[in-house]
Amino acid sequence: MSYLFTSALLFALGVYGVLTRRTAILVFLSIELMLNAANLSLVGFARAHGLEGQVAALMVIAIAAAEVAVGLGLIVAIFRHRESTAVDDLSELRG
Amino acid sequence: MSPWEALALLLLLATGALVVTLRNAIHAALALILNFLVLAGVYVGLDARFLGFIQVIVYAGAIVVLFLFVIMLLFAAQGEVGFDPLVRSKPLAALLALGVALALFSGLWGLNLAFTKDLQGGLPQALGPLLYGDWLFVLLAVGFLLMAATVVAVALVQPTRPLDALRPEERKEEKEVVR
Repeated sequence: MSYLFTSALLFALGVYGVLTRRTAILVFLSIELMLNAANLSLVGFARAHGLEGQVAALMVIAIAAAEVAVGLGLIVAIFRHRESTAVDDLSELRG
Repeated sequence: MSPWEALALLLLLATGALVVTLRNAIHAALALILNFLVLAGVYVGLDARFLGFIQVIVYAGAIVVLFLFVIMLLFAAQGEVGFDPLVRSKPLAALLALGVALALFSGLWGLNLAFTKDLQGGLPQALGPLLYGDWLFVLLAVGFLLMAATVVAVALVQPTRPLDALRPEERKEEKEVVR
């Protein structure tokens, strides 16, 4: 049970990071932290409900890999146009 | 709760706090690697051994290294950049995060779970029949998603060609447009 509470705290830490960080890359790092908190709770619940939780965690890892590839590609593309990755500089949607 | 368990959970929270507070992005990414390694140990302790090794190989080994690569490529190690439009917003953010934690806690509090399932150590022998049985279509969909993500990542960062690198037939079209 302590693992589930820890995963809740880790998720909250990720939320704090997303809200306070000012560069896109660090916001992204905090999102990874939140994904892993969700994974930890999936693995914790798997001990009570069966192996499906672990398979779901495996899928989350694979999808996180895809998300990182696309997200970092976006950050690199935006940096080429704007010379910045600060999220406050990128607040308007112009090309 | 055994002392090892307490130590692992404490390390998880400490490294997680470092990830969201360190000023240098490279240090934050290194703290994230530490967090993932501790998490892999916790997975092994929670009868999820295959997942623990995947965590080390895929997350700590591939994903965070990709992060470090991009941070160094963009010279983006400086965490505090630009101006701060919301002055002193950090306590507010901390309050909001605390609210999220309390909401999750209240959800977990009433649960009455019996952690008695036999997971066979979470080895590939146990996960394989599930992955290629009930979850087969999910597995295929995730594979397709990974392929699409790879194509998108390559298309996104493709460099735009300079004008003098155009092929001759394209250059003619360019002239017509100018005229």
